[in-house]
Amino acid sequence: MSSKVRILLVTLMACGLAISAISIGAAQEKSLLRVGFSWPTFIDPAVGSDYSSAATMVNLYDTLVYPAHGGGVIPHVAKSWVTEPLAVTFELKEGVKFHDGSELTAEDVKFSMDRLLEIGEGTAYLFMGKIESTEVLDKYKVRFNLATPFGPFIPALARLHILNKDVVMANLKKEGPYGDYGDYGKEYLLTHDAGSGAYMVKEFAFEESILMERFPDYFGHVAGNAPDEVLFMQSPDTVTVKTMMSRRELEMTDPWQPEEAYVAMDAMEGVEIARMLAGELEYLMFHTRRPPTDDVHFRRALSYLLNYDEVTATIFPGTLQSVGPIPHGLPGFKEGLFQYNYDPDKAREELQRSKYSNQLDEVSVTLVMKAGDAAGEKLSLMYQAACAEVGINMELVNVTWGQMVALAGNIDSDYNIIGVGVAPDYAEAGSFLQSKYHSNTVGTWMQPEWVQEPLIDFLIEDAVGTMDKDERFKKYGLLQELVVNLAYSIFLVDPVMQYAYQAAYVIWPQQANPLFVMGFNHDCRFIEVLPEKKP
Amino acid sequence: MALPAYVVRRLVYSLFILLGLTMFVFVISRVMPNDPARVALGPQAPEKVVQRYREWMHLNEPIPAQYYYWLKNVLSGNLGESIYTRRNVLLDIQDFLPATMELALFSALIMTLFGILLGALSARYANTWVDNLVRMGSYAGVVTPAFIFGIFFLLLFGYVLRILPTMGRLSAGVTDPPVITGMITTDSLITGNFAAFFDALKHLLMPATAMALGGVAQEARITRSSMSDNMLKDYIAVARAQGIPERAITLKYLLKPSLIPTVSILGLDFAALIRNAFLVEIVFGWPGLSRYAIKAMTLTDLNAITGVVLVLGVVFTTVNIIVDVVVAYLDPRIRLGGAGNE
Repeated sequence: MSSKVRILLVTLMACGLAISAISIGAAQEKSLLRVGFSWPTFIDPAVGSDYSSAATMVNLYDTLVYPAHGGGVIPHVAKSWVTEPLAVTFELKEGVKFHDGSELTAEDVKFSMDRLLEIGEGTAYLFMGKIESTEVLDKYKVRFNLATPFGPFIPALARLHILNKDVVMANLKKEGPYGDYGDYGKEYLLTHDAGSGAYMVKEFAFEESILMERFPDYFGHVAGNAPDEVLFMQSPDTVTVKTMMSRRELEMTDPWQPEEAYVAMDAMEGVEIARMLAGELEYLMFHTRRPPTDDVHFRRALSYLLNYDEVTATIFPGTLQSVGPIPHGLPGFKEGLFQYNYDPDKAREELQRSKYSNQLDEVSVTLVMKAGDAAGEKLSLMYQAACAEVGINMELVNVTWGQMVALAGNIDSDYNIIGVGVAPDYAEAGSFLQSKYHSNTVGTWMQPEWVQEPLIDFLIEDAVGTMDKDERFKKYGLLQELVVNLAYSIFLVDPVMQYAYQAAYVIWPQQANPLFVMGFNHDCRFIEVLPEKKP
Repeated sequence: MALPAYVVRRLVYSLFILLGLTMFVFVISRVMPNDPARVALGPQAPEKVVQRYREWMHLNEPIPAQYYYWLKNVLSGNLGESIYTRRNVLLDIQDFLPATMELALFSALIMTLFGILLGALSARYANTWVDNLVRMGSYAGVVTPAFIFGIFFLLLFGYVLRILPTMGRLSAGVTDPPVITGMITTDSLITGNFAAFFDALKHLLMPATAMALGGVAQEARITRSSMSDNMLKDYIAVARAQGIPERAITLKYLLKPSLIPTVSILGLDFAALIRNAFLVEIVFGWPGLSRYAIKAMTLTDLNAITGVVLVLGVVFTTVNIIVDVVVAYLDPRIRLGGAGNE
C-alpha cells in the first residue's frame, strides 16, 4: 500500500470518528432515561396488555383515574365522578391536550371504550360484558352504563387509555375485520401514538426500542428533572446488560435478570437494586379433572411436599412464600389464612385419605413447566425428589409457551400440574379470583385447573358485584379461605421484581412506594435524571 | 452449458425446492398442538374475539386450504400477519433481514479474507511456528461456539477496555441514514453519512468477528490442506525448475486452484453464519432475523415461521448459485450443470 493511500485512509477514519464523537456529544445534551424491557411492546391501548406495553402506554396516554397507594384511585383526566348502582358519570378536566394540540373530550373517552370493546384484545376483558353502553352527555361529561354491578369498575379504569379519536379515524386502513372501521387504526397505532401523555413517540424500531420525547403541553405534574427523552429498549443478554450498567449506558434494567447478575450490579459504583412486590403470584396449578389430582386429599398431599423455605431461599431468592391465592398487599388480600408448609408426614396422612391411597404405584403425576426456565427446572427436580420420598412418581415435561397454552386449553390434556405466574388485571383480589377460579376462564393458561363449580362462580360474581368496598373485601376473604381449603393450586411465591438502576444520578420515587397496577411504576414524568451527578 | 442457461435452470429448480420447503414447514408447524390465536390475543380475550381472529387467519380451515390461502397471498406479496409483531411478516422481514445480512456479509468477508490468508501462510510456511500457530488457532476456532467468542469480546472490549459499543446497530444520538438497503453501513456510505458509517462499523466489529472466527478456522484448514496437496504436483515443480520466484508461484499458480474447495464450502459456511447468528444477536442486542425466527418458533407464529424459512431458502439458494459460478471461474475445467468434468 502506498504511503499516500495510507494517509488518505487514516484521515478518512479520523474524520469519521471525529464526526461521530461530535454528533453523539450534541445528542447527549438532552437528558435521557434508558430502560431495558422485554419485547414486543404494543402501544395500541386496544392491543397491548403485557408489562412493557403497559409501562409504555402509561407514558403515552392518560386515563380517567390514577392508581392510589394502598388501593383505590385518584382523579386524573376526570375531575370527579358520580356513582349510581348501574352507572358512573365522569366529569373531565378542561384543557387537557392531545399531542396534536387538540383537546381531549368526552367523545374521545367514548371512542376509546367502544374501540377497546369492539377489538376485544388487550385489557378489553376487564370491561366486556360489564358495560352496556357509553354515552356522551356533553363535551366534558361521559357516562358508562353498566350491564351488571361491578365493584372494581373505577379502579379498572386506570387501564383504559384515552385515544385521540380524530387521529385514529384519519389513519384507518380500509382492509380489516372491523367493517366500516377497517383495521380500526391498528396498523397505525403499532408504531405511532394518539395520546395525551407526558411523552410522545419519537422513534419506533421494531424488536429494538421505542424512543419517547417529552410533551411540552402536558396537563399534569412533571418532576423538575424528568428526562427529556426516554428509551425503552429490548434487553440483550445478561452479560451485555451488566456491561451497559457498568458503562452507564443503561439507567434501569428489566426485572428478569438472574440473581447473580443483580449481585454483580449491586456491587457497581452508584448502582442500587430496587425491590418491589410485583403484585403477582407464582402458582403450580392442579388439573382438578384428571386423576390423581382430581382428589382434594391428593392435592393437599402435594401441597405439603414442596419445601417452600428452600424455594424462597435458593430458587426464587428475595421472594415471599405466598399465603393463599392473592399476593401480599394487594387490596382484598386476607391476613391469617392457612398456609401449607413442607411436611412429608402430613402429606402421607392426606395420601391415606385419598381415593388413590392403595394404588400409589400405579398413578403418576405429570408436572409441566416452561422450557428454558432455569428456576422452574430446579424447582421441578426438587419437587420430584420430595414426591418420590412418599411414593409418588412425578414425570417432568418442559414445553414451549405455545404448547403450554394449547395444553391448558384442552381438558383431556395429559398433565396434572402446570407452573405459571399470574399478574392482576386490576389492583384488587377480585381480579385473581375471577381469572383463576371462575368457570368462564377454564381452558386459558390462567386456569388450567378446570374449576367449574357453580358455588364458586356465584361467590365470585357476588363479590365483584358488591359496590361497597368493605363488604366486597369480606367476600373476597371468604373465597380465599375456600380456595386454600380445596387446594386447587399451590401458592408458591409472591415474586419480588428486582431492577438495577443508576441511583447515583436517577431518582426513582416509585421504587420506594410502588403501585400494584401494571406499568405505573415506570411513569417517567415522576422519575428524575441528574446527569451532573453521573459518576 | 452456458452460464445464463445454467443460472436459469438452477432458478427453476430452486422454485420447486422452495415450494417443497414451504409445504414441509407449513405442515409441520400446523400439526403441532398449539393455539396461535389464543397465544396472540392472550388468555383473557373472549372466545368470540379469538374465533374472529382464527377466521381472519384461516386457522379453522383444513391444512391444504390454509396452504392455498397462504400461497395465494405470497404470490401477491403478502406473507400474512405475525402473531408476535401483529403486522405483515413481509414488513418484519424487511426490517430484520438487512440487519442479519449485514452481520453475515461482514462476517463472510472476515471469514474469507482471513481464512484464505491464514491458510496460505500456513501452507507457505508449513511445519514452521507460523503453521503450528495457525493450526492450533484453527482447532480452537472450530470447536468454540460463536457466542462464546461474543461474550469474550464483550467482556474484553466492552467491559475492560471500553473501546467498542456493546449493543445495537447504532449509538443513541447518531442519526440513522435513510433506508435504502436496510444495511446501515451501506446506506450511510450511499448517503455520505460518515458518522453513521463509522459508528455502524464499530457496532459490527465484535458480533461479526465472533461469528466469523469458526469459519476463519475452517477456511484456513481447508486452504492449507488444498495448497499443501497442490504443492506436490508436477506443474509447481516445473514452475520452480523454470526459476519463477516463489512468491509468484504461490500467488499465481498455487493459490487460485487451491481455493476451489474453500469457495465450494463457502455456501455452507454462509448458512452456518446465519444459523449461528441467533445467540450472537442475543448477546449484542442485534435486531436480526435469527432472533426473530426463534421468537416466532417459541410462540408458534405460523406465518412468521413459514415466511422466514422461505426467505432464508431464497438466500441460501442464491448463495449456492453464486458459489457454483465462482468455482467455475476458478477452474475452467468445471462445466456448469455437470455435463461433464472431463
